[in-house]
Amino acid sequence: MENTIRKGKRPGDPLKRRVWRDFRSEWKRYLMIFLLLVVTIGFVSGMYVANNSMMKSLSDNAEKLCREDGHFRLSAMPDDELLEKIENSAVPVKTYGLFYKEDSELLPEKSGYKGKVRVYTERSEVDLYDILKGHSPESAEDIIIDRMHADNAGIHIGDTVSVGGTDFTVTGFAAFVDYTALYENNSDTMFDALTFDVAMVTDEGFSRLTVPVMYNYAFRYVNAPPGRSEEKKLSDAFIAELAAIAAGSGCTIEDYVPVYANQAVNFASDDLGKDKSMGGVILYIITAVFAFIIAVTISTTLEKEASVIGTLRASGYTKGEMLRYYMSAPLIVFLFAAVVGNLLGYTFFKNAVVDMYRNSYSLPAYKTLWTPVAFVKTTIVPFILMAVINFVVITRTLKLSPLRFLRHDLRKTKRKKAIRLPHWSFFSRFRMRVFLQNIPNYIMLFTGITFVMLMLTMAVGMPDTLSHFQDNIQDMVFAEDQVILASPADENGTIITTAAEGAEPFSVYALERRSSAYDEEVTVYGVCRDSRYISLPDSADEENVCISKAYADKYRVKKGDTIRLSDKFEDKQYRWKVCGITDYSAGIAVFTDSGSFNRIFEKPEGSFSGYMSDTQIDDIDRRYIAKEITSEDMMKLAKQLDHSLGSYMTYFQYLCVIIAAIILYLLTKIVIEKNERSISMAKILGYTDAEIASLYMLTTAVMVLISEVAAVFLGYILMKLVWAEMMMTMSGWFEFKMTAAGFVKEFLLVFAAYLLITAVDLIRIRHIPKTVALKNVE
Amino acid sequence: MSEAEKKFLEVRELTKSFGSGDTRQEVLKGIDFTVAKGEFCVLLGPSGSGKSTLLNILGGIDSADSGEITINGDKLNRMDEKGLTRYRRKHLGYVFQMYNLIPNLNVKENIETGAYLSDAPLDIDELLKVLGLYEHRHKLPNQLSGGQQQRVSIGRAIVKNPDILLCDEPTGALDYTTSKEILRLIEDVNQKYGNTVIMVTHNEAIRQMADHVIKLRDGRIRHDDLNTIKLTSAELEW
Repeated sequence: MENTIRKGKRPGDPLKRRVWRDFRSEWKRYLMIFLLLVVTIGFVSGMYVANNSMMKSLSDNAEKLCREDGHFRLSAMPDDELLEKIENSAVPVKTYGLFYKEDSELLPEKSGYKGKVRVYTERSEVDLYDILKGHSPESAEDIIIDRMHADNAGIHIGDTVSVGGTDFTVTGFAAFVDYTALYENNSDTMFDALTFDVAMVTDEGFSRLTVPVMYNYAFRYVNAPPGRSEEKKLSDAFIAELAAIAAGSGCTIEDYVPVYANQAVNFASDDLGKDKSMGGVILYIITAVFAFIIAVTISTTLEKEASVIGTLRASGYTKGEMLRYYMSAPLIVFLFAAVVGNLLGYTFFKNAVVDMYRNSYSLPAYKTLWTPVAFVKTTIVPFILMAVINFVVITRTLKLSPLRFLRHDLRKTKRKKAIRLPHWSFFSRFRMRVFLQNIPNYIMLFTGITFVMLMLTMAVGMPDTLSHFQDNIQDMVFAEDQVILASPADENGTIITTAAEGAEPFSVYALERRSSAYDEEVTVYGVCRDSRYISLPDSADEENVCISKAYADKYRVKKGDTIRLSDKFEDKQYRWKVCGITDYSAGIAVFTDSGSFNRIFEKPEGSFSGYMSDTQIDDIDRRYIAKEITSEDMMKLAKQLDHSLGSYMTYFQYLCVIIAAIILYLLTKIVIEKNERSISMAKILGYTDAEIASLYMLTTAVMVLISEVAAVFLGYILMKLVWAEMMMTMSGWFEFKMTAAGFVKEFLLVFAAYLLITAVDLIRIRHIPKTVALKNVE
Repeated sequence: MSEAEKKFLEVRELTKSFGSGDTRQEVLKGIDFTVAKGEFCVLLGPSGSGKSTLLNILGGIDSADSGEITINGDKLNRMDEKGLTRYRRKHLGYVFQMYNLIPNLNVKENIETGAYLSDAPLDIDELLKVLGLYEHRHKLPNQLSGGQQQRVSIGRAIVKNPDILLCDEPTGALDYTTSKEILRLIEDVNQKYGNTVIMVTHNEAIRQMADHVIKLRDGRIRHDDLNTIKLTSAELEW
């Protein structure tokens, strides 16, 4: 040895360099975590960004494209004097002629197709449109049609569309601001973008159509109402004025729809709102999965690193230095994943979600918006969660003395005595030992699989739930047909009646159940005391009401409880005691007898809103019908939900399988790594790779199978709870259902992911060197 | 040598037990000894005699039930956890029987983990040459023999030029020749840099190269002797 060694420079922190080495040596683990994060952040932020951008575009377009405040249709062309009267009534408005003609839509290229098209004259002042492709009509032969309908019917630019026998050439696809969902009539329960179309032609083109003109007028208030309740009051006042003016002129009002009640305008944005709450649930579950993965990963890392930590701590490294080091790799992975995930969220994933929306609605062009809520929920919250979990796990472990790290003694509970096993074959006992040694790891595996199953239960169970709803709707409704009249009497004051068999008059009024989470619309029905459709308890009156099963299930209301509802537009509260629960699952409803109903809502005695019957009510003039609900309509609702959410759920199912594979990869990797030395020793002893795989992987496979079976049911139970919570932020109630095939599908999806990972595990086992067992261990 | 240097390390009435109730086992039953600055002290004893526990307490990684340890005037038992970490960082070098090298750092970087803790570390390249590891500086621990790995771990401990080098059975996992090489290295460090060395071993032969031999059995000091005739590590035979 030389006499002296001169002093050198203090080097930079070697642990910093080690962080990069860790990435290299553990690249598969970090890659999986990275992918998990990218998919999670990308998927959920894509959902939020698409939702937010589209919502903003819809609300901006209302102003930019001069959306109406409502429209009315008159039976004849009004003269200027009449229009002036309407515009200068007690509720001053500006009216705009928005005439249209309705006729059949045929496509010469597609012989089997027959639809209906509503053709408007050129719009220049109100209810404008967004041209998504092509250009506005310029000649008498040009026509632009709704983009969504064009997609559904397979119409392309340049195609010929025959409107009632008159041919037009499609020059553009548009999204009309007053038709984001293609409702033919506002009273329809569901829109129809398959066979109903909205189009626009030039004035010359309009005159080529031979069918009668519909004298439709859009209006905008001169003094815009500040809020929803004022808008409702203003609208009520305006229709009263309009009715009076029209009656004096000999014109009749054939249609009146204020914008707040216009489904063609509001349905899409309402649905987008529902998707947002669904996205929230998905995010909560994924965040929980994510937290679990982080906790497992960091605990495993600390166990594996016990000697290094013990040595470094004994050498004088502080807890802070160790904490910073062990937090670095996860934070760096997270930051990279956040950048990539957000980029994909704003591009690929957003486009996927927008395509899904465009599949259902006639949406305008949109600008992708920076969505802070998405960033906070998908990036900031998981970042904080990850940092906190890592911090807590690491600091808690670092509280142990360096000596305990050096002795690999990180567990609170000491190892118990070896369990005596029966005289099974050697391999069976060996496998049982493997199982006993790895119980904590298998608990981890079970937890991971349960999380995945929870997500899959949602993805698989959602379409099942909707199908169940569709299949059972006939049993759920209390009457096959419900007709709500605009007024119980016609213009001559004669009570409107029906000859439909079993028809009963009923009354209806919409109230609200208010809560911090969601204001739910509750339909209050007044029915005959001896109704054949609703069996009212005798005690039902002004103070005591009967509620639907859906109401009872959703809000966990029992007989004897008190419910409180509020008027939607006025400051009125209603308190009732529940005297019975009726077997009606399709809606959130309250029932009482007609007499009590009229007294509660201060209606004249004998007043009613419409008729219900199990046979079709088809003898009432359409112009007296405000709304008609048939079981077929309710089916449409479920079908449409299936259509829009179904694709969402397929998308989500793929995500679940990816997450399942990643989780199984990470967890089985832990099991193999913890047994690396034993596997290596078994190799030295002469066991073949196949025998070793049967010893270690068969046990894991059995555990995966058992975990899967248990998790399928546990996931279902948990999902029912999550579902109930989710429904609290949405209107209506569906009970969460899953078919046996759904359970099998879930099981097979996760098992497929496991088989994929097994192949990787086999390679892992083959690559464990024999020297591992020969390394020094304390 | 001043009085303070003579009492560089002072251990008084040290006791330590594990477990509680019926399973309580006294491992150290009142240990008293003093080590002078720069002394090569060997703690000898059979398995279970308490020597490793004593070393761990001296190293501030385990705590005593009672008693007092003074190192260079600082009382260890009055230090809180942060103080103990600071003490280990600034004054101690640790060599374990298991080398505990960081597997994905190369030889030089493993030594740097020690150098980083000191404000005035030794020059690493020179140290690598002295340790005979310069040619291997870019190798990972798994590419080295046991003796080479132990040399890296000694390098990691001495690069910060600690006041005290604590060695827990540093040759326990090594063969005869390699053990002698390691002992030579520790001997050199002690002689040329004047670090106080406290080495735990159960190898009776090693006592001959020490200045000071403390023999433990059943948690008590049975012998506390100063060697008048010392052998060099090269002269040791077992």
